[in-house]
Amino acid sequence: MKSRLLLPISAALFLIAVLTHLGFFDRERLARGVRNLGILSSEMFPPDVAVLPTASAALWETVEMSFAGTLLGFLASLPLSILATRRLFSTWVSSAARFVAAGIRTIPVLLWAIVFVIVLGLGPLAGTFGIAAYTVGYLAKIYADLFEGTDPEIMEAVQSTGASKLQLVRFVIIPEAANAVLAQVLFMLEYNIRASSILGFVGAGGLGFIIQIYLQSLDYRRLATVLLLVLVIVLVMDGVSAWLRKRFLLSAHAA
Amino acid sequence: MTDNGAAPFVLQADRVWFSYRNHDSVLKDVSLAIPAGKHTVIMGPSGTGKTTLLRVLAGILKPNAGQVSIFGQPTHELSRRQLSSLIGYIPQQLGLVRNSSALDNVLMGSLGRISDSKALFGLFPADEIDKAQAALDLMGIAHKSSEPVFRMSGGERQRVAIARTLLQHPRVVIADEFASDLDLALASEILTRIKRAAEQEEITLIMSMHRIGLARQFGDEVVALNHGEIAAGFIGNESLETRQLEASV
Repeated sequence: MKSRLLLPISAALFLIAVLTHLGFFDRERLARGVRNLGILSSEMFPPDVAVLPTASAALWETVEMSFAGTLLGFLASLPLSILATRRLFSTWVSSAARFVAAGIRTIPVLLWAIVFVIVLGLGPLAGTFGIAAYTVGYLAKIYADLFEGTDPEIMEAVQSTGASKLQLVRFVIIPEAANAVLAQVLFMLEYNIRASSILGFVGAGGLGFIIQIYLQSLDYRRLATVLLLVLVIVLVMDGVSAWLRKRFLLSAHAA
Repeated sequence: MTDNGAAPFVLQADRVWFSYRNHDSVLKDVSLAIPAGKHTVIMGPSGTGKTTLLRVLAGILKPNAGQVSIFGQPTHELSRRQLSSLIGYIPQQLGLVRNSSALDNVLMGSLGRISDSKALFGLFPADEIDKAQAALDLMGIAHKSSEPVFRMSGGERQRVAIARTLLQHPRVVIADEFASDLDLALASEILTRIKRAAEQEEITLIMSMHRIGLARQFGDEVVALNHGEIAAGFIGNESLETRQLEASV
């Protein structure tokens, strides 16, 4: 009984220590924060719709970057994840592929954007590559794990027809994982739309650039308009991905 | 060990031993000779090594000792593609790709004859598509060819699995308890279809089963396996007495 309580009590004590260190129990500071939040909210209202044309153009650039970056990353992640699948390739090959994916994934998307701004110059192309790079690292890992989980009996049955490795990937591994593959791409697209709205902070195109300008000039009414636009696009994306999931994923689970 | 003294042997297991890593032997000194054109049924209680024996016979598992030969040639000397033109294997859960259509699943039976570049783009030759349609027709489900497998019933899935194996044009089909989840009437119908197709294509059939009634109905030869050893072999339907078989398993 004592040993059962040890872990939750230790976790709770650790949480309290961490929160104290972070200033969570500094009442004066928290009260000041609540007051500031009220001031900020009042300064954001009403949103300045005069910036809609500028913000919409930047938003469209963000959507373009996210869509292109996600798809490029998805396409690049497929071969890498197949090489990382231990049931298809030797330990050496799969470990090397997993190491590459882990290396790419370690670098956050904002840092990738900085790298590509240095390499390709300012603008949405750098942002697109930054998003693609992070997407490769994330999806390659998820897909490799998914592919490894393919029902061994199906693999064995199709292998016994004389199918090659490439044919197994084409006819067994990808179709069997298709639902999860699609679900992960949709998740990544949603994530990338949110993430790419700040890539402009480092000159990688999209909404981030104007968000930064409005923040620095304390122009919170204009900022509110941009944030509302981000909210709209995120809601639209949620709707589209829900429709896609219903259209392509739910039917498969009806079996 | 079975020997009807007339038909030549297609598949032979010679003193085969097999164990999974760090486990006791599943197959212990198993010797078998499967006569050409006959339907051999392997019976035995659960966990007795039937699936392992079939996978060893199909060349999927390599024995730890002893060898399996097909037409006198050891299976371990043959490539996967060579083996696929001789042996078709239907696992217990059928091994169908659930998101693909019935036709696509059947066409997978021709993968051993198709180049990677064509298969990658799903470009199957027209004659393979015709043969796949014909195999589905033979199984009585040609009208379901574009239906995804996950929408099909258990009986329909069995037929797709048989059609896929027929498209391989194998000389031997090994089927593992593949009708065991069906009710007796449907299992009997499916087994009649596979038996008829096997006779039409001159295929030797090896099936594992646990229903004695079905074994009597469909087995020309019955081999009883118990704790990884051949308990008894029965030649011919007539000599297969239920009590005799029950006693051996």
